[in-house]
Amino acid sequence: MQEHIQLTPKEINQELLSGVLGTPKWWLGLVAFLLLVFLTGAGAFGYMLNKGVGVTGLNRPIMWGFFMTNFVFWIGISHAGIMISAILRLTQAEWRRPVTRAAEVLTVFSLTAALMAAPLVHVGRPWRAALWVFPYDFGRGVWPNIRSPFIWDPAAVMTYLTASTLFVFVALIPDMAVIRDRATGKWARQIYGYLCMGWRGTPRQWKLQTVAGILLSALVLPVFVSVHSIVSWDFAINIGVDGWHSTIFAPYFIIGAIHSGVSAVTMVMALMVWLWKWDKILRPDHFDAIGRLLIIVATTWFFFFIVEFFFAIYTKEAPELALRELQIFTRPYVFLFLIFIITAYFLPVPLWMFKKVRRNVKWMFWTTVSVNVGMWLERFLIFVPSLARKTPLEFNWGTYHPSIIEMLMVAATFAWVAMGMLLFSKVFPLIPIFDIKEGMIVRDEVKIGRAIVPASIRE
Amino acid sequence: MASGNGAHGALALATPAQVNRDLLERHQRRTGDTYWRAMALFGALFVLGIIGFLMRLSDGFSDKAVWGYYAAVFAFILTTAQAAPLVAIAPRIAKGHWRRPISRAAELWSVVGLFNLLLFIPLLWVLPSLEDTRRTLWFFDAQDPNFSQVPIFSPHIWATLALVGLVVTGFMLLWVSALPDLAAVRDSASGWRQRWAARLAPNWQGTSQQWNFLYHRTGILGAFYFIMLIFVHFLISVDFAMALVPGWIDALFPITHAANSLQAGTATLLLTMFCLRQFGGYKDYIGLDQFWALGKLMFALSLLWFWFWFSSFIVLWYGKKPSEQAALQLMMVGPYLPAFMAAFVLNFLVPLFTMIWNPLRKSIWGPTLIATSILIGTLFDRIRIYVPAYSVPGIGNRFVEKHELSEVPKSILPDMADIFMIVGAIGGAIFIYLLASKVLPVINVWEQKEMLLYRVHKPFHRIEVLVLGKRD
Repeated sequence: MQEHIQLTPKEINQELLSGVLGTPKWWLGLVAFLLLVFLTGAGAFGYMLNKGVGVTGLNRPIMWGFFMTNFVFWIGISHAGIMISAILRLTQAEWRRPVTRAAEVLTVFSLTAALMAAPLVHVGRPWRAALWVFPYDFGRGVWPNIRSPFIWDPAAVMTYLTASTLFVFVALIPDMAVIRDRATGKWARQIYGYLCMGWRGTPRQWKLQTVAGILLSALVLPVFVSVHSIVSWDFAINIGVDGWHSTIFAPYFIIGAIHSGVSAVTMVMALMVWLWKWDKILRPDHFDAIGRLLIIVATTWFFFFIVEFFFAIYTKEAPELALRELQIFTRPYVFLFLIFIITAYFLPVPLWMFKKVRRNVKWMFWTTVSVNVGMWLERFLIFVPSLARKTPLEFNWGTYHPSIIEMLMVAATFAWVAMGMLLFSKVFPLIPIFDIKEGMIVRDEVKIGRAIVPASIRE
Repeated sequence: MASGNGAHGALALATPAQVNRDLLERHQRRTGDTYWRAMALFGALFVLGIIGFLMRLSDGFSDKAVWGYYAAVFAFILTTAQAAPLVAIAPRIAKGHWRRPISRAAELWSVVGLFNLLLFIPLLWVLPSLEDTRRTLWFFDAQDPNFSQVPIFSPHIWATLALVGLVVTGFMLLWVSALPDLAAVRDSASGWRQRWAARLAPNWQGTSQQWNFLYHRTGILGAFYFIMLIFVHFLISVDFAMALVPGWIDALFPITHAANSLQAGTATLLLTMFCLRQFGGYKDYIGLDQFWALGKLMFALSLLWFWFWFSSFIVLWYGKKPSEQAALQLMMVGPYLPAFMAAFVLNFLVPLFTMIWNPLRKSIWGPTLIATSILIGTLFDRIRIYVPAYSVPGIGNRFVEKHELSEVPKSILPDMADIFMIVGAIGGAIFIYLLASKVLPVINVWEQKEMLLYRVHKPFHRIEVLVLGKRD
């Protein structure tokens, strides 16, 4: 914490509103590129709607391929926002301040990407989504099947999306008032004025805003846990597919989600330093802190991974043993497995042990990219080899090759999230202005002998 | 020193020298009547436990069903007393200042590990060898040449080694973190205390090198204690419980067993803090800050208790596999339903519906009462796991076909020997803790003094604020 740079409120406004009140040179080109990728994926989706799901590589018995992998991956990334924001806010970790907003926004866009990946794309006929939610035969009183994941997943994801959006919005109110007071256009002033709901920064308003933040943090945590638990139970309650029926799935999925989510936040932090030049606010000690957190999270995830694997072998049941052999020793899964385990754990974690790596933006960026490559593959290896195993009453049996249509749609979700973050950054600051200002105020130092120790004001 | 509710308030005006003098005096002054009364009570319970154990011993080891309650109380002490040191370790690594007055009280529980190690020994005779072809962590299979090389007593060997490792690590952690205090006792006390302290901390002079050694070693030993505790829970929960029930395959259970110990360890420490505050005269040191911080942690861990339980339950219940339904019948909805319901209510529902209220959470009595509820609930939880697990006859019996329970055994109620052993083991654990508290100061003197260096009161606009430093 020694390299902290003290900034005045005016300097903070200038730094953090540079992307909102002005437009960086690279912004338009990057958004246009991402839009192109997204539209290509949307085109592929339209083509699939027209021709049917036969244009994908999905076929009996592997009906859950890239789309479901991508769905679970984005749900995982979405856990970053709550992990970073709610937990660190409740524990009053000072280093959270510049990171929370980006993490929360990443949650919102990841969830929309997840909704695109599964309910919209995966089912093939998205207009039937209405039938999962509303009764479709009033006359005979036919209701949706509440035991179906089609009900569980959208309900959980939509609840999480609503809570996360509210979480982002509440934290944005003081910042929107700052923009309202600085915007030059009449429309902009009116819109920001409307959104910030008459914020004047009175003591009562600050108190309400703080209480709302703490309450939302506490209330959103159970939602965050329930979402990925429910997604994991889509698999775990199924006894018909080898490798899925395991009680550990819910915590294993959650910790995996936190691993990939916190890694994704680190990637966003690095991009904020490079693209917006916010290196006066995002200091090496922020990367150091999140690096330490990542070591703990990654090692916990690895422990769950080992336990899950171990208990599959513990049963000594032939189908389970055959599945593990397929996952680990059989081509092509053996290569994917090696890439997964190296990139998700054995490459990044030993590197994070070094303080120099943790404090280096480039190293942290590339190691966290590595984690997410691995974690995407992890989900793929949970679904596809399990489904690819022939079961006794299965007559139509083959393997899975993703088609270009699926690849384009997967790429589109990545473009969607990146584009969403960039568009957000054009209208709202990606780093909470009020939180940074508060952090500057409460920051202090304590002298112990000849050493100066960073300190903060406590109530 | 003035008494106060918050540890901040009471010690705000104290100097390191005053704290040093005060805490060492309290440690060395003549022991009060309350202490001796407690020693007599728990000593008597301990004796009762020995009588119960001798009664049980007369039944022999051949029928493991009669040892179910004994196994449950062993697991209870593993889950509570041996987990309590973690409550000091985690906030120390996270540099939370609130832990300073309670870290010694937490670490002192590691002494009880030695007692639990002794309790473990009879279970080595009770647990059958792997020749009964049950599932095992060690993959023994007499029929398969690839798996028949493993010793048939692998669970016994590895669990013992792991438990010994945990106890040794606990003692080392306690000793290393107490070095500066032992040196202070060495230099200020007289009689047996001085001799003990001189033996345990002969070379401590407080040099920079020694302090660096202390910070480094407490971190490493703390992390190692955590790893060992998880490992011990893994071995005990699988080899000494899950493997005994054919068809019970729950990958989450070892982790649930360990996670429950975090909740119960926190509850143990909260109750210890309450006793130290009310009866030990440490109101100036253990204040609302500590109760509030631990209360929040205990609340979070109670929610975790439910989530882990439900994650297992929903998968087994929804799967409808006969082997898993039988396991649920045995331990949850069948003969042990009352014990399960007691655990569910005391470990989850009571903390949930009480700790959500700020006034209750931010008090001394609230978290203490909830901690008591959790400890009783944990005892019921261990009973509903270990007693039925030990009541299942081995493979080849009419109860068991292949790896599946075909018939759920009836419940076993505790007899006199079981009740004596339960109260005796708990009484013995507290008795040993009380003894240990006479050897070492129960409040960590050096951490308390260090705290004073990190806190400064400064003017801020029109008010005075507390500034807390945090070392990198």
